[in-house]
Amino acid sequence: MSNDPIHQFHTNNTVDAQVAELPAAWGVGNLAFNDAALFMLAGTALTAGFFYWAMKPAALVPGRAQVVAETGYNFIHGMVRDAAGDEGVKRFFPFVFTLFLWIFAANMLGMFPYFFTPTSHIIVTATMALMVFLTVIVVGLAKNGLKFFKLFVPSGVPIYILPFVVFIEIISFFSRPLSHAVRLWANVLAGHLVLKVFAGFVPMMAAAGFVGLFGSLLPLTMTVALYALEFLVAFLQAYVFALLTCIYLNDALHPGHH
Amino acid sequence: MADKTPPEDALSNLRRRVAEARGTGSANSQPPQSAASLALRFGGEFGAAIIVGALLGLGADYFLHTSPWGLVIGFGLGFVAGVVNVVRVAQSYNRANPPDPNAPSIPDDDD
Repeated sequence: MSNDPIHQFHTNNTVDAQVAELPAAWGVGNLAFNDAALFMLAGTALTAGFFYWAMKPAALVPGRAQVVAETGYNFIHGMVRDAAGDEGVKRFFPFVFTLFLWIFAANMLGMFPYFFTPTSHIIVTATMALMVFLTVIVVGLAKNGLKFFKLFVPSGVPIYILPFVVFIEIISFFSRPLSHAVRLWANVLAGHLVLKVFAGFVPMMAAAGFVGLFGSLLPLTMTVALYALEFLVAFLQAYVFALLTCIYLNDALHPGHH
Repeated sequence: MADKTPPEDALSNLRRRVAEARGTGSANSQPPQSAASLALRFGGEFGAAIIVGALLGLGADYFLHTSPWGLVIGFGLGFVAGVVNVVRVAQSYNRANPPDPNAPSIPDDDD
């Protein structure tokens, strides 16, 4: 168990309390409050708590915590405005900001040893990606009506290859939630796996005798370096997820502007 | 001439300078991307389109009983859509990070 790099992704390492019994016909087991639920709740509570605490003074001359909160707000605000325009800010800023903060909090919580990382499970990232995908379709159809389908018909294409191009555009459109979800999931999963594998080398080598004790410094250095890289990835992937959300949501507001 | 700027221009000028000084202008809201995440982005866009194309083809086979032609055609179209995706990502990346105009040019056969 101690050296199994997959063990950290089990959802019932520390908490596994059954909440309710689900019908056996569903075939999904019983509803349980486990590590995944615990750390998703912790990420939510952490962000909400931090912003409540930091913005409580709402001072004209902000304190340190308020500067952090306002910088984060301005950062995502500028990103949404750049990618989706002022209308995007009006409609989608709370959604994008929530997604970014939650993914960032979940990633950062996962950096603690023995903590569970919700974003290392594709069910979590795919849920968020599908949420964005369905929002694009619903908002796009509600706002633009049938003009939304101009998204699949690029302008300036000769009529005799148009059916072919439309089919490719449809495949390209449906591949978005997949690549959107897989990017975050694969980055976090790969990072945590590599980290655990290198960290696992340290006690293995140290147990192998005097020479191994010095040799174990090499994987230890690597683990420390990878840890720093993972902090970068934790932030960057939250940012990339939010940025892609903006780009996709922009299509809902302005279809046919490729 | 110089001091006859209309007040609106002066105001927008000031706003631009303030934005520059604060570093909240539109240009610098993006952090640098790591090479690994960029590589995963390109690969993910390519692979996702292939998987979706193949799944759509399989779905067509299932409902129209045309096995294996739907899968074959869907796979091919998926590859095409993957290349389109990669080209789009590369275009948007180049738009966001324009190449340095002062960089030394690489000589090619035409020079």
